[in-house]
Amino acid sequence: MIRVEKRNDVSRSIYFLTPVLAIFLTLFGGGIIFFILGFNPIEALKFFFITPISDLYGLSELLVKATPLCLIAIGLSFCFKSNNWNIGAEGQLIFGGIVGGGVALLFYNHDGFYVLPIIILSGAIGGMLFAMIPAILKTYFNTNEILVSLMLVYVAKLLLDFLVVGPWSNPEGFNFPETRQFSESARMPILFDGIRIHAGIFITLISVFLSWLILYKTYLGFQIKVSGLSLKTAKYAGFKGKTMIIIVFMISGACAGLAGVGEITGPIGQLHRNISPDYGFTAIIVAFLGRLNPIGIIFASLIVALTYLGAETAQIFLQVPKYTGQVFQGMILFFLLGSDYLLFFKIKFLGLKKNEL
Amino acid sequence: MNTKLKVSEISKIYPGCIANDKISLEFGSGKIYALLGENGAGKSTLVKILSGVVKPDEGEVFLNDESIKLNSPLDAKKNNIGMVFQHFNLFETLSVFENLSIDSDKKDKDLRVIVKDILKKYSFKIDLDIPVLNLSAGQKQKVEIIRCLIRNPKILIMDEPTSVLTEQETDDLFFSLKQFSKDGILIIYITHKLKEVLSLCDEVAVMRKGKVVSVSNTIDEKIESLANKMVGENLNTIKKKINNFKNSEEILKISNLNFKSDDPYETNLNNLNLSLKKGECLGIAGISGNGQNELFQILSGEIITEGTSIMFRNKEIGKLNPRERREYLMAFSPEDRISQAAVPELKIYENVALNNFKSSNFFEKGLVNEKKIKEHSKKILSNFSVNTNNVELKSQFLSGGNLQKLIIGRELITSPELLVCFNPTWGLDVGAINYIHETLIQINEQGKSSILISTDNDELLKLSDRICVIYKGKLSKIMNANTVTAEKLGILMGGGSID
Repeated sequence: MIRVEKRNDVSRSIYFLTPVLAIFLTLFGGGIIFFILGFNPIEALKFFFITPISDLYGLSELLVKATPLCLIAIGLSFCFKSNNWNIGAEGQLIFGGIVGGGVALLFYNHDGFYVLPIIILSGAIGGMLFAMIPAILKTYFNTNEILVSLMLVYVAKLLLDFLVVGPWSNPEGFNFPETRQFSESARMPILFDGIRIHAGIFITLISVFLSWLILYKTYLGFQIKVSGLSLKTAKYAGFKGKTMIIIVFMISGACAGLAGVGEITGPIGQLHRNISPDYGFTAIIVAFLGRLNPIGIIFASLIVALTYLGAETAQIFLQVPKYTGQVFQGMILFFLLGSDYLLFFKIKFLGLKKNEL
Repeated sequence: MNTKLKVSEISKIYPGCIANDKISLEFGSGKIYALLGENGAGKSTLVKILSGVVKPDEGEVFLNDESIKLNSPLDAKKNNIGMVFQHFNLFETLSVFENLSIDSDKKDKDLRVIVKDILKKYSFKIDLDIPVLNLSAGQKQKVEIIRCLIRNPKILIMDEPTSVLTEQETDDLFFSLKQFSKDGILIIYITHKLKEVLSLCDEVAVMRKGKVVSVSNTIDEKIESLANKMVGENLNTIKKKINNFKNSEEILKISNLNFKSDDPYETNLNNLNLSLKKGECLGIAGISGNGQNELFQILSGEIITEGTSIMFRNKEIGKLNPRERREYLMAFSPEDRISQAAVPELKIYENVALNNFKSSNFFEKGLVNEKKIKEHSKKILSNFSVNTNNVELKSQFLSGGNLQKLIIGRELITSPELLVCFNPTWGLDVGAINYIHETLIQINEQGKSSILISTDNDELLKLSDRICVIYKGKLSKIMNANTVTAEKLGILMGGGSID
């Protein structure tokens, strides 16, 4: 007979070390997969995790990918900490991109320092408004935010599709499903010549700092923490539950919207069908790998960003599909959840008792 | 036939606590034995060993001088040891008879005959074919007892059986137990209620901290002597002076309160009216599940009822949430101290910050004022003799008594005009109970009012100035405490009427 018991005290250092363990297990599991596919596992892992960041360009690409992941995960941590399951960051990212992109197109022949801030702001507001849909439906109509936020991802995707094919498509674009290129003043400044790392990284870093401030030093952060641990207590303490749900969704949506607008004004420079390689979904893994902690999320976003790069390198050098990256992301989550289970519960193997058979 | 049960040198050690320390006791049929002790004295462990749920580390059990092995509850059944636990193990949606036949190897037809005989012999009035959920607590307990009786037990162990019963049901139960005893069944009765020991049992073994500290005939004992043995120190009994509040200022008035819940597991409240004077303690008695939870939440503001009038110090507070009510100097200590009044994963000072309102300055301009909260927490820890001075300790490491002191302290340190508490002492040991009781009396003496919702009648009679009973969501007439007796409360709690 097997019995599962809750562990009472989990040490804080082990709590933050298990994600590291999960990453090593992922490497090990990945090695096995490569071995089965007929590659030398060490070599393959090297192509996957070392080669992509062995030069300056690679490191810059890592930061380019980590910038949106980190930003979205920071936003999501507000929701997840307070027991609100916002699964639709991808949709909020796309909608933020749509609104920001729309404003950018409006200014396509304008120049001026004010253009970019307006675009960024409108992108954040777009993501925020889109996230408020599941929040308001949850608070006033008792809907399930997981379903609503997830379904809205497809709404946003199809809306983007419609816009880039139809009304917003580039008049000189030979009917390609994309918009005009944004004007120079609508683009994130590139930090160094020759590499793609852009000013969006500062938005991310500022958000990390602000989120730390809010989560650990403000009354709002305290309310989020208490509601996440015990809704009964939050009610007893008289926290305004509904307002808080809407606020955390707004923060989360604004972050995702910022990430979206950062992508289109940064590396992409226009709107087209695939403005995000599922950053919004992958950021869920980042948030949990980083233990919903701002600093943890920075590290987690770098590691998960590496799986994106590794997948591209592996596609070139090993001729494996780029979806290997998602396999690795999946494994990280799997091993993280698995080691968490063992962290919070102990499994006791008891001898079989005759009478119980 | 005579049954002799003997436990010899039984020990059971759990990490960090010796639950049973070389316990030796002898029991013989024809008598009712009490096993008396506080929570955590080791009674339940001993009972679990006797019923095969827990294996002892050392020691043996002898039945009629033969050593028996009790490795599982089935072994206990084979040795004719029957056990009625405090919490019922019945399937609510199945009928009484179905519940009985589930773990019986007899044919339904034979079983029905046996059960009917038992019903007749002990004049139990239970319809065998109605679902268990329609039965009262007392009747459910009878079903559990019948389940034991079917197996012709030599030994019947009852674990705190009266905690869910009304006074009348308790009397009924005692009558039956005495009959069983006459029929030669050895009865071991586990309790921490002293009166029950004196009125029911022949012999009493007192346990304290895992050891048996005394075995005696109940004839030689009094309530005080047993209490002292149980607690191990001389307790000064506290009893509140009952005051007359006719001319005092009215502090709380609720008129025509109705609450209809969408949740079928909640109780609807019908037309509640009550008023409370300054410095007064109003006790609300009742068997749990009769609307106490809902009433508490309505008082605390966790449930807002539309169109209800709740006047507190001449202000209408019916629409305010708990935090806003705290601004008006109300305080609340809910029943669920472990996961509602506090969050176990949070540190002590964070739990203190839960009772926050504008004038506490815990959060200035939205920012956490950690220094202020910690200072405030230290004050609570020392003023309310919580057994630690480390405000960084997670509250899950506090014992029940210390946690309750922390919560009561947190609620009282702001000198509220009204404290509403719900079962403030359940599960606590006598020392902590006394402390909480003294504190509650003290606040009344300081001219602050309190509402005590409790399922413990002794507590209510000890602390209240006026008492009423809640039954199926309705309040009885509010009575002066000095005219109320435990019997009267029992009748009202069971849905009867007096006068």
